[in-house]
Amino acid sequence: MAKWGMVIDLDKCTGCQACTTACAMENNRLPGENWQDVLFYHEGTYPNVNLMWFPRPCFHCENPSCVSVCPTKATYKEPEGGFVLIDWNKCIGCKYCQVACPYGVRFFTDEKAVVQPDIRGVFPGTDRQWDPPYKGPQDDPSRGIGIQPHGVVSKCTFCHHKVSKAPKGVADLDEDIPELKEYVPACVRVCAPKARFFGDLDNPESHVNKLIADQRGVRLKDETGNKPQVYYLSGGAAAAVPSLRSMTDKT
Amino acid sequence: MSTATMHARLPILPVALAGLVISVAIVLYNLINQGHAAYGTDNLGMFWTFPIVVYDYFLLTSTGLAMVATLALVFGGDDFRPIIKRALWLALAGLAGGVAVLMLELGKPIQALWLIPFSFAFDSPLYWKVLCVLGYVLALLWLFSRLSRTGWSMASVRGMALLTLVLALGVTVIAGVVYGSQSMRPFWASGDIPVAFLFESLLGGLAFIIFFTYMAYGFKQDGLPASVNRLFSDKLPSLLALAIFLHMLFVLARMTSGLYGNAEGLQVWQHIVASPLFHLELWVGLVTPLVLLLLPTTRRIGSVQILAALLVMISLFIARYEYIIGGQLVPLFKGAWAPALLSYSPSPTEWMLLHPPCP
Repeated sequence: MAKWGMVIDLDKCTGCQACTTACAMENNRLPGENWQDVLFYHEGTYPNVNLMWFPRPCFHCENPSCVSVCPTKATYKEPEGGFVLIDWNKCIGCKYCQVACPYGVRFFTDEKAVVQPDIRGVFPGTDRQWDPPYKGPQDDPSRGIGIQPHGVVSKCTFCHHKVSKAPKGVADLDEDIPELKEYVPACVRVCAPKARFFGDLDNPESHVNKLIADQRGVRLKDETGNKPQVYYLSGGAAAAVPSLRSMTDKT
Repeated sequence: MSTATMHARLPILPVALAGLVISVAIVLYNLINQGHAAYGTDNLGMFWTFPIVVYDYFLLTSTGLAMVATLALVFGGDDFRPIIKRALWLALAGLAGGVAVLMLELGKPIQALWLIPFSFAFDSPLYWKVLCVLGYVLALLWLFSRLSRTGWSMASVRGMALLTLVLALGVTVIAGVVYGSQSMRPFWASGDIPVAFLFESLLGGLAFIIFFTYMAYGFKQDGLPASVNRLFSDKLPSLLALAIFLHMLFVLARMTSGLYGNAEGLQVWQHIVASPLFHLELWVGLVTPLVLLLLPTTRRIGSVQILAALLVMISLFIARYEYIIGGQLVPLFKGAWAPALLSYSPSPTEWMLLHPPCP
């Protein structure tokens, strides 16, 4: 059984937001409600200021706090692939998972639109949040895929609708391999500087495992015990992993 | 003077019911037209806001009232007999109002009624909380109906009272675990939160029973029956003072460790301590009633007791607000590099939610 994971090389990421845009198109996201986002921030004080950025999908944790707190088992970890998904048929919108997620990757459907004007008013939905003119062909409410209904929480699915169809036993899903590119998550496939890699963390031969081992991949906020399946590479030349900044080796 | 006579003079119930209908109608209208955007919540970090504050406040008050009643029944506090039934009634009313507010906050409130109990999500504190609340409601109804019949004795209802007490303690402790277990939010996470909730709940129960007993008798000490007056002149104000003191210890202990702590999220304590609301909670809502209840000259005065109870009720509401909102002011992820706090203030629709539990 595969355990899909992602490696993001922060030294290569240019903060272009192509991943965010691709995710929004693939998953019919509302403007500003980005399952995959690149967060910008600055460090230091004038005149010594650094503009920095940080790409952030859902981390599909090995031990996800969002799963353990869910009172209806709507959020669950799929054994095949290790995806953390939401069954919209079971979600009651209590938002405990949003409270418990250390990474802020979850969105409640019915909040005020982040980007105004609210496009839901332009393409109003009936039983779903909105009804855009283009809808992705995938729709699986039991896995939180498609346009979400009212009153539920949504999040990145690691493009489950693509990845789950990949040939069994494949170690990496690389957009440069023609026969595999259709199975690559949207954010990985469009990454122009090739800062993202996607593969099987349980396969010792996978490229993602080699990257993590060779370049000392780190997981964000590991102290919370969630054990993300997304690793960051940061050689120190570009953006550092924020929560580990205080642990920089000064030698 | 009977309670019925006082209600005839003070039209509290009709006014409260009219307010309830109006406020619920406004909330429903806004929810239907604006969705959850009618509340002050967002996807940036403020997930649980005023509705959860109101819900938790009245849930803990309810369990506190049940504790007051059942502790007296279990341990044979015959002096408390005149207030036991009222405490149980208030516990039911407060719980009903609190749960009604929760229903207005959930994304799918109707489905929650069967999805939670039959999910068997044993890992989730909320699952156990809901199970405990269900048992607690049934036990409360059972005990209240038994006490509504004539001819009950302390011994005959002791078993029922013990069960209700255990469930009330369970609800309160699990309500604390819901927050205290969130290790990624240092402002919330602490092993002592369930214990602090117990004291907070008991304090709320005592304040509510004092205030509403006086209300039933037109806020006049002369109107109290002799048995009630005896209790209110002796044990109850002393108990209220003790409960204030214990609750204040928890508040000050958490404040001190919060101000000295360096974990991401604890900087909220500096924000809270700098706000007038906190000082209203501490000095006006806790220290003032404590002093009034400790002074022999003022302790037994009815108006002082009413004032003390009211101040405590307000203080506890502020405490609940600051705890729930404070735990979310530092956005978890963004907080790793952005020292700024999120801003939040209740929307008009959220203020309307405060009314349903009040009657």
